Amino acid sequence: MDVKGLTRTETILAVLFVVALIAAGVGWTQTGQRVTETVTTTVGGAGQTVTVTQPVTTTQVLTSTVTVERLIAPGTVKIAVVSDIGGRGDLSFNDMAFKGGDEAERDFGVEMVELISKTEADYVPNLETAARDPSVRLIVGVGFLLSEALLEVAQKYPDKNFAGIDTFTQFLAVQQLGKPLPNMIDIVYEEHKGSAAVGALGCLVAAYYNEGGGNYPYIGGVFGIEIPVLWKFEIGYKWGCDWGLKWYEQRFGKRAPIIGEDGRYGSGADWRDGLYCPAGGQCWYKGRVLWTYTGTFSDITKGYAAAKPMFEQGAIAVYNIAGPLGLGINQAVQEIATERRLENGPPFWIGVDANQDWINPGFIIASMMKRVDRGVYYATLLTVIGKFRDVAAESNGVLTLGIGTRVGRLSMEGISVSTLADLDEFIQMGIDAEKMTGKKVLPMPPEQIREKVTEMRDRLPTWVWDALTELESKIRSGQVEVPMVLTKDEVDRWRELLG
Amino acid sequence: MAQTPPLTSGKRGKLLSRFAESLLAVAVGLVGGAILMLLYGYDVVTAYRALFLGAFGDLSGFLETLAFATPLIMTGLTFGVALRSGLFNVGSEGQMYLGAIGAVIVGGRLSLPPILHVVLATIFAMVLGAIWSLPVAFLKISRGVHEVVSTIMLNWVAFWLVTYLITYQLADPARAERAVPAQETARYLVIGSSLTTIFPVVIAVALVIYFILWRTTLGYELRIVGHNQDAARYAGISIHRSFIISFIIGGLMAGLAGASQVLGRPPHWTVFATMGNLINLGFEGIGVSLIGRNHPVGIIFASIFYGGLLHGGRFMEFEAGVASELVRAINGIIIIALAVPGALEILGRILRRRRMKHV
Repeated sequence: MDVKGLTRTETILAVLFVVALIAAGVGWTQTGQRVTETVTTTVGGAGQTVTVTQPVTTTQVLTSTVTVERLIAPGTVKIAVVSDIGGRGDLSFNDMAFKGGDEAERDFGVEMVELISKTEADYVPNLETAARDPSVRLIVGVGFLLSEALLEVAQKYPDKNFAGIDTFTQFLAVQQLGKPLPNMIDIVYEEHKGSAAVGALGCLVAAYYNEGGGNYPYIGGVFGIEIPVLWKFEIGYKWGCDWGLKWYEQRFGKRAPIIGEDGRYGSGADWRDGLYCPAGGQCWYKGRVLWTYTGTFSDITKGYAAAKPMFEQGAIAVYNIAGPLGLGINQAVQEIATERRLENGPPFWIGVDANQDWINPGFIIASMMKRVDRGVYYATLLTVIGKFRDVAAESNGVLTLGIGTRVGRLSMEGISVSTLADLDEFIQMGIDAEKMTGKKVLPMPPEQIREKVTEMRDRLPTWVWDALTELESKIRSGQVEVPMVLTKDEVDRWRELLG
Repeated sequence: MAQTPPLTSGKRGKLLSRFAESLLAVAVGLVGGAILMLLYGYDVVTAYRALFLGAFGDLSGFLETLAFATPLIMTGLTFGVALRSGLFNVGSEGQMYLGAIGAVIVGGRLSLPPILHVVLATIFAMVLGAIWSLPVAFLKISRGVHEVVSTIMLNWVAFWLVTYLITYQLADPARAERAVPAQETARYLVIGSSLTTIFPVVIAVALVIYFILWRTTLGYELRIVGHNQDAARYAGISIHRSFIISFIIGGLMAGLAGASQVLGRPPHWTVFATMGNLINLGFEGIGVSLIGRNHPVGIIFASIFYGGLLHGGRFMEFEAGVASELVRAINGIIIIALAVPGALEILGRILRRRRMKHV
């Protein structure tokens, strides 16, 4: 209690000090105008703006070349990509989003700016920083964790376009505001279709190796936390296996060896020769898929623990639906490979999201690719051709990319099984990550990876790939419909049929 | 500077020298960051302009800066108050986790009338933070366990405990990646950007701490214990009691920091299972406290400065294209430079005390 004046002086001085400090910081830097404010944009269809007609050729997945009239002077439009935590170098979502941005830069002449989120608290300020820049037309948030942040910022900046990868912002908007936002598109993917494709691939590969004397009665799936989104993967995968085995039956006029005929999968009143035939319904190849929900998306050791027994029971391939747990599955595969001195599978595993075939060439039969890069690319395309709001209005703000998706005249595919053609793009991603982190990412030189993956694929008979092409084209034409399971009742019903 | 109880003597000179030190530290930090940027070929002026204008140049940016500063004020105080009473409490990290989980329990799980809800959630969070600091206090008093050891260990216990609670007990049923969000009734009102009315609450609490430390007998005793334990004992002050009080105050502050991220931070109003929106806020408080010279008012301003770096950093990335990792490195250099004078002062004090003991 004996201290008096000192604290007050100290306080005042502390205040003055910090104010001076901030003023010094700001004043010192105030030599010029703020960069963002000097940029004038010339966007708009009003007529008085510069109109540059330039053909925009969309590449790769688009089936037809579309020429659009662009009402934007090149170089004045920016798109912003706000990453989730992790940023560049994650070889997955974020890297793919930036890849899509790079491609948009190349094809549409826009400029991409990147903002990396370090924590969840960065989402809103990052989105807002981008939205406040007058030359930014489109802001893309990568990953479903940004859903709430996108809702908040998209409402605040109604003249900017917002897109989210895997987000459910419009669902929240309807819940909270009663209607979807006109300037926002959630870009989601038909993972069930892609999962069906790799499920068919897995079971047909088992059939092929069983023909040659192998004993592979199962395929496997290692899942993360049991949330509704993953049911889409699970049932799609199981359904795909069933489709594949039925295709085999039709094509060769006989059951697929072991995996298609064996009696080990179940017996009783509803079972007929290894098939489950409930009263009044069709028959299903039940129980061919071993599956485990690990309850984690981060604990790699659980991926190993789940995959190891599957391989021991004779699963020929295990599907990774738990992000980084794929590395655990890979470890299990590698252990078997080392033990038996294998140069290539079986056993295999199946990658997810990105093309993961290069991680352990020869042991990853294929990957179910969710083209996040395409999502960013299409959102930019829609912005550049001025169709963003129309598409948002028509679709209630949710754009579903899948197999055979079309928006007007544009084909917008977002799901595919990895091919040799896209392997190079992803090897490049690995090379970039190596450069950035200074750590070794690629397991061997790029040419060697290519060679091994090509070899592995060539070892399979063409009919396996024919089946896959047929399934994709039937999905595309609507001849077959892969079940999309989102509710507990539905998932229970399908588990009853497929195991 | 040399006399031990010079609370009233030579204050002007001391303040001036401190001011000069801090200015020098700012200069060193900025130059260090500039060198780093030049090494990588970035435009230093554009980058710093973006940093400061982004953080302090307009209202919405400044409000965002304050939002980032809010938890740091509290965790800074945890460290600052402890140091004032001669303790090196680095446990704010774990206590802050507990505070956040307390806010989730009351704010997310209970349904209460509007104002009562937010008040109770806040108080419960603070109490949980304080409870988490008690084992440290008792270990120190009864067994002489150094608080650095016990707090660091308890930080990890808190980390795994809270991870467990979020994953298995408090998970949002619809969103497995996070805990249940605080209900509308338990949220502080949004002022603008990500800033909510918890900011004035935090400022008020900081000023209360200032008042306690410098205007009450209790605070005087705490500071005497921090200054010279022998003198305090001689004067009849209970050192154990002072330690306990200091830890409890620290825990309350850290708990409030955790609550601020749940009850006072849109748009999530919750904790993620990764705890990404909490991690390091406690440790950053140490730097903040050192910059603010362990004085409540200093800590407020140091937090705002630190928050400015956190928020302004993204503008360096956005406008000057500085790689996000480098932005962190630059901020780190500035913060280290600013914290050095405070750290040296503490080091000097410790060394002096050692020397006195050995004589």
